[in-house]
Amino acid sequence: MSLPSGTFNQGYGQDMAIFRTRTHWVMLIAFLIFLFACPLFFGDRILTVLTIIGISVISVHGLNILTGYCNQISMGHAGFMAVGAYTSAILTAKLGFSFWAALPCAALAAGIVGIIFGLPSLRIKGFYLIMATIAAHFIIIWVILQLYGITGGSDGLSVPRPEIGGFVFKSKSSYFYLVMIIACLGTFLAKNIVRTRAGRAFIAIRDNELAAEVMGVNLWSYKLVAFFIGCVYAGVAGSLLVHYVAFATTDQFPFMNSVWYLGMLIVGGMGSTAGAIFGAVFLKLLDELVTIFGPVLSAAVAPQAAASLSLIMRGLVIILFLIFEPRGLAHRWQMIKSYYRLWPFSH
Amino acid sequence: MTKIKWLFIASIIVLLLAMPLLAACPGEETTTPATTAPPPKTTAPPPVQKTLSIGGCFALTGAYAEDMAAVLAGFEDYAAYVNETHKLAPWRTETFPEDITLEVLWRDDELNVEKVLSIYEELKDKGLLVERTSGSPQALALMNLLNEDRIGATSSAVGPYLLSPPKTIFIQYPVYTDATAAIADWFLDNWKETRAPRVAYLTADNAMGKSVVIPEMDVYLESIGFEVVGTQFVPLVPTSPPTTQLLWLKQNKVDLALGVMINPGAQPTYKEMVRLDMGPDLGYKIAFGTASPGHAVVFAEALGEVGDGYLCAGSYPPLSEVTVPGIQFCSDLQDSYRSDRVTHIMYPHGVVEAMVQVEALRLAMQKVPIDELTPVDVLEYGFYMIKNLETGGITSTPLTFGPGDVVGMDEVLVQQVQGGKAVALGTWPLHNIYKHE
Repeated sequence: MSLPSGTFNQGYGQDMAIFRTRTHWVMLIAFLIFLFACPLFFGDRILTVLTIIGISVISVHGLNILTGYCNQISMGHAGFMAVGAYTSAILTAKLGFSFWAALPCAALAAGIVGIIFGLPSLRIKGFYLIMATIAAHFIIIWVILQLYGITGGSDGLSVPRPEIGGFVFKSKSSYFYLVMIIACLGTFLAKNIVRTRAGRAFIAIRDNELAAEVMGVNLWSYKLVAFFIGCVYAGVAGSLLVHYVAFATTDQFPFMNSVWYLGMLIVGGMGSTAGAIFGAVFLKLLDELVTIFGPVLSAAVAPQAAASLSLIMRGLVIILFLIFEPRGLAHRWQMIKSYYRLWPFSH
Repeated sequence: MTKIKWLFIASIIVLLLAMPLLAACPGEETTTPATTAPPPKTTAPPPVQKTLSIGGCFALTGAYAEDMAAVLAGFEDYAAYVNETHKLAPWRTETFPEDITLEVLWRDDELNVEKVLSIYEELKDKGLLVERTSGSPQALALMNLLNEDRIGATSSAVGPYLLSPPKTIFIQYPVYTDATAAIADWFLDNWKETRAPRVAYLTADNAMGKSVVIPEMDVYLESIGFEVVGTQFVPLVPTSPPTTQLLWLKQNKVDLALGVMINPGAQPTYKEMVRLDMGPDLGYKIAFGTASPGHAVVFAEALGEVGDGYLCAGSYPPLSEVTVPGIQFCSDLQDSYRSDRVTHIMYPHGVVEAMVQVEALRLAMQKVPIDELTPVDVLEYGFYMIKNLETGGITSTPLTFGPGDVVGMDEVLVQQVQGGKAVALGTWPLHNIYKHE
């Protein structure tokens, strides 16, 4: 943790604290107050956008642990989300489970499937692992479609909304709170996971597998742990998504979503918890902006000008980041913070 | 390089600041006066011009982009026609209120479910009293939300899932199962052999394509005398010819292959069929038909005589068939309001969809004043009250909707490519094959 000029850590507790100074705490509380006050200021539309961003943040946190910290590039993240989504959907819609029981089951199921598809990760890496995870996505979707009697196949499955003590999370604001609470918890957990022994092992694997192994890091088990944790996050995100729409269909988890989640990591900054948030927020807001501008551009230039605009913009932003800021927005944020830490004494 | 970096950072910051501001921008008021002209000297007050919106989600990105661009053009031209003439169609005597201007509100949903959700909320906020969905993923995602908000919608995706409650999405061409059943009916009417014909599904491997592969369809096909052999899936837009799937049909001695595909899938499939000497007039006799949106007109334009024998059910008459009043109307619309002519078959679909939305709004306004109009009013006094809406022959029959009745027509038009042209073979009755819970 970087500290303001003149502030020093005097014990292990202080050294490990995420929020070290009073300013940090004030900023955190202010942010949380602002976040949870959003339903007071914004309508259903903005709340929908924020809810989707929250779900994406949860998913990207998982991918960040897997790819950003442990360097196991996964292009099957949307598939793992589908596992969580369908587990939750089947448990609630077909077996009458409560959402609160189904959510951890969804996380667990996605984690287990993640472990299964993560098994080859010890033997293959890089491009070959990417191909393996792409295959994972298509296998998962294929299996879901084949299990027509359970999953509803391509017709999908109607899913009940979460409920607690007779209160149904039906309104946009109530679901927003649900997602944001889970997103905040997920962020807190993600931040702490990477500070644990496992997290340090992930980073060691990312930086140099051979060196990590020589130091006694069990590559096999830690890679699988990374897959498990990453997919647990994906499962939670998938479950939240289908309960939000109140319907589960494989079309909610297209392969391209996996690509965009990776794009979010690139834009936000791989290997940074804040980066996962920045990336998800940035690309989702960019999407909204482009959607609004589409008809304007179409009217001003040509009817077809709006077609594929989102894809082009997202692709362009990712390319620009890869060229000019490969460490993402999180790095920029660090630089801004560093600048102000010494302010007004520049170095 | 440093300057470029700072420019890059500055542009990112500007973009970040602009996004929430723009996103939070309130939309145009849909029912406020649009003109502020000074009052004339006469005693009669001037009519206050009000605005009503039609439209919804259009997937202008992705596999259906071309189709949806044509649908959007149909919406825009029809709205322009109503605004200018205050008529609803040349063959209709009813008029649209002169003090109301129609505007088309639309957003590109990219066939992306997450995006559809925010667009839906945005358009709802902007006062859109009706909705539309452009593909099965969006229709499935919006079905429950539309019901919760009691908003009536039109759709260019017609999966059998629309027949399950809540039934608030109204369609102008038959659901895929009924369309493919009509092809089977036609095939059986022309079957000369004494043995039972063998049928298999050859269909797109997405929600749309798979929606016909259901037990009810098997039961129907077997009940009319077919032997159901199995299913082969083809990617929605194949990246390589589906040789394996076609050879499977050959090995299993299939006489009729049925499915749902878009043209980018149906065309390479049929080309490969011809290359493998498979077709109604080739070495291995087989018929291949898809439900609309595998439009025979688009197919014939692209493949010419190579496509001879291809069947499509549930589509519209070709835009060249100006003897059909509805098609003539579409041609006139383009003459009046469009500099670049749209030649895609989904243009008439867009016109019909817009017609349905406008009719729902018009009927609802007969019961409730425009300023008090809500989506529920448009659903209950509008969509549910549409009876025998004449489309000038664009749809196989006039459209009738009601509570629980979301399929507008009663018959299915079957077309075949013959001599490089789409030829109408006739209409077959709707069987309502899909049995919802």
